[in-house]
Amino acid sequence: MGRIELDQLTRRFGATTAVDRVSLHIEDGDFVALLGPSGCGKTTLLRMIAGLLPPSEGRILVDDEDVTEVPPRRRDLAMVFQSYALYPHLTVASNIGFPLRVRRRSKAEIADRVSEVAEQLELGALLRRRPKELSGGQRQRVALGRALVRDPKAFLMDEPLSNLDAKLRTATRAELAALHRRLGSTFVYVTHDQVEAMTMATRIALLNAGRLEQVGTPAEVYDEPASVFVAGFLGSPPMNLLPAHVRTDEGRVLVTAAGVDVPLWTGETPEQDVTLGIRPEHLTFAPLTEEPGARPLLRGTVCTIENLGSEEIAFCAVGDTTVAVRGARPLGVVEGETVALTARQERVHLFDAGSGRRLVWQPEPAFATA
Amino acid sequence: MLVEIPEAQAVTEGRPARPSVTARLRGWLPPLAYLAPALLFLYLWTYRPLGQTFQLSFFNWNLLPTSPMTPAGTDNYTRVLGLPELGQAVWNTVVYILALLPFTVLIPAAVALLARRLPGRSRTLYQALIFAPTLVTPVAAAAVWRWLLDPSSGPVNKALTALGAEPLNFLRDPDVAIGAIILISGWSLLGFATLVISAGLAGINDDYPAAASLDGASRWQITRLITLPLLSPTVLFLVLTTTLLSVQITFPLIDILTQGGPDGATTNVYYLLWQYGFRNFDAGFAGAAGTVFFVGFGLVAALFVWLSNKLSFYDN
Repeated sequence: MGRIELDQLTRRFGATTAVDRVSLHIEDGDFVALLGPSGCGKTTLLRMIAGLLPPSEGRILVDDEDVTEVPPRRRDLAMVFQSYALYPHLTVASNIGFPLRVRRRSKAEIADRVSEVAEQLELGALLRRRPKELSGGQRQRVALGRALVRDPKAFLMDEPLSNLDAKLRTATRAELAALHRRLGSTFVYVTHDQVEAMTMATRIALLNAGRLEQVGTPAEVYDEPASVFVAGFLGSPPMNLLPAHVRTDEGRVLVTAAGVDVPLWTGETPEQDVTLGIRPEHLTFAPLTEEPGARPLLRGTVCTIENLGSEEIAFCAVGDTTVAVRGARPLGVVEGETVALTARQERVHLFDAGSGRRLVWQPEPAFATA
Repeated sequence: MLVEIPEAQAVTEGRPARPSVTARLRGWLPPLAYLAPALLFLYLWTYRPLGQTFQLSFFNWNLLPTSPMTPAGTDNYTRVLGLPELGQAVWNTVVYILALLPFTVLIPAAVALLARRLPGRSRTLYQALIFAPTLVTPVAAAAVWRWLLDPSSGPVNKALTALGAEPLNFLRDPDVAIGAIILISGWSLLGFATLVISAGLAGINDDYPAAASLDGASRWQITRLITLPLLSPTVLFLVLTTTLLSVQITFPLIDILTQGGPDGATTNVYYLLWQYGFRNFDAGFAGAAGTVFFVGFGLVAALFVWLSNKLSFYDN
């Protein structure tokens, strides 16, 4: 079992609040990615769960037991540090066996468990080496082995892949996801890399300035971002966000801005300022001759084109904003060209211009229009 | 017809030309210019006297500029090694080194480990208090201690008498004098050693104890299994410093408090050397003794360097 519950968890450093009243339920067997930019409080949150940092306020429960005041060694959680924190004076075998050694298990039992774990992680040939004789990828696996050697309630990981090169990171990502499936244990994984979060996590908790912005499956946070921050954080390039205005025109909701004309649902809504969001991969080119009114339409000029090999990204000036369009290469446009862009209506996101929260369309109940 | 595309990197045959001698010399000049003052003084105050000591050891000379230096061959070395006081001086030196180790390693390690648990400000204050004796000039410290240990009017003996014990003539009693010198040297070294250990502790990445605590280790297990082993290069450095410097550190105390006595009970090898060289005006003898001790301590230092290379983990 490994259910972790955070209740209004807060941590202040002097006048700054690093983690601000975060409440989060992590179910047994979840792979939760704590995702956010540098300084959003994700590592602080993880260190509080681990017990390395006392919270200023709030509670932490593991399997319904309040562990807020319990020291790390009694929480039965394993952690992989960003630096891996391999004990430099101990061999790989002693590093992996350390958690069992301090629990005073017999030498034979430790040796058995260590070789079992080493085999799983393909570390068998390295057991007698010291950390300084290992490559980055090998060190990462030893750190993982030290966590795996006992059966903790949950695994906490603090950016464990950030010190690996791109190729190794991709491979290790797949291994970690497979490990999670095999063990079925709870993983709490801190990362600033959205690809890691999207590919491995069963749920993503997005943090911004110490506050939880959104919690959901990778598909939920990507397809239905709860705020402008989430929309602008996920995706590469992230969602295009344009300041716009909503009004009702002839019984239809219309979003307009300079060079933007997006007809949406039939119905009525009070006028308001909004942020219009469309993902770069959901934009396609439309004929220049197309009249506005039938479907979302943006007009602009191509500024630059980036070649990604398989795909291209065209950056177009629409009004005062730059809008990215992503598609298979070649996109078929040139720099300086005037273009029209369109997207399917369900791919259009709206956010409140003031609060930044997502706006959803609620059709009025049938009796109201009758 | 299939044609292979040309190589991306143009390869020229043969080795690239070496820069000319003048160009290389010009490259060396700026670093040399920066190093020159330090090198000059190192030569003037260390290497030149070292060479002259070695040279003197083969002559007889009474230090008077007007009197001639007469060649002596290896006579001076024979005299040094045959000196009756040498045995006691070497033994006392070993006693000084071994007896000072608790003051430079054990007590500082315990103090530094305990001081870590103090919160911010009070820790700084505590370390400053511990370090203060190190800042007292040895000669001034010796004068104060001589007064403290005075057989009739010293506060230490007054306290002893008040407790009903016999007053001790600390600096004139052959059984006690060396202990007094050791205690005073230890007192003055404690602060420096604590500072070095604290620096060593600060150099240990916080992630190690954090990882160990999550791995289930208790505070004592973390100290014993993680902190102390990672501190071993620092400890070795202190052992080396104590070994090589305790002779020099005790020198001013010996000179002011006991002059090596009573009956050679507190003398060490350098004090003996100094007595012969500058009291008996026997420069050749002092040169030979200096060379012998230099080689002896050099061998010890080499052993420690070899050991410390074996013990370093290079925390990265």
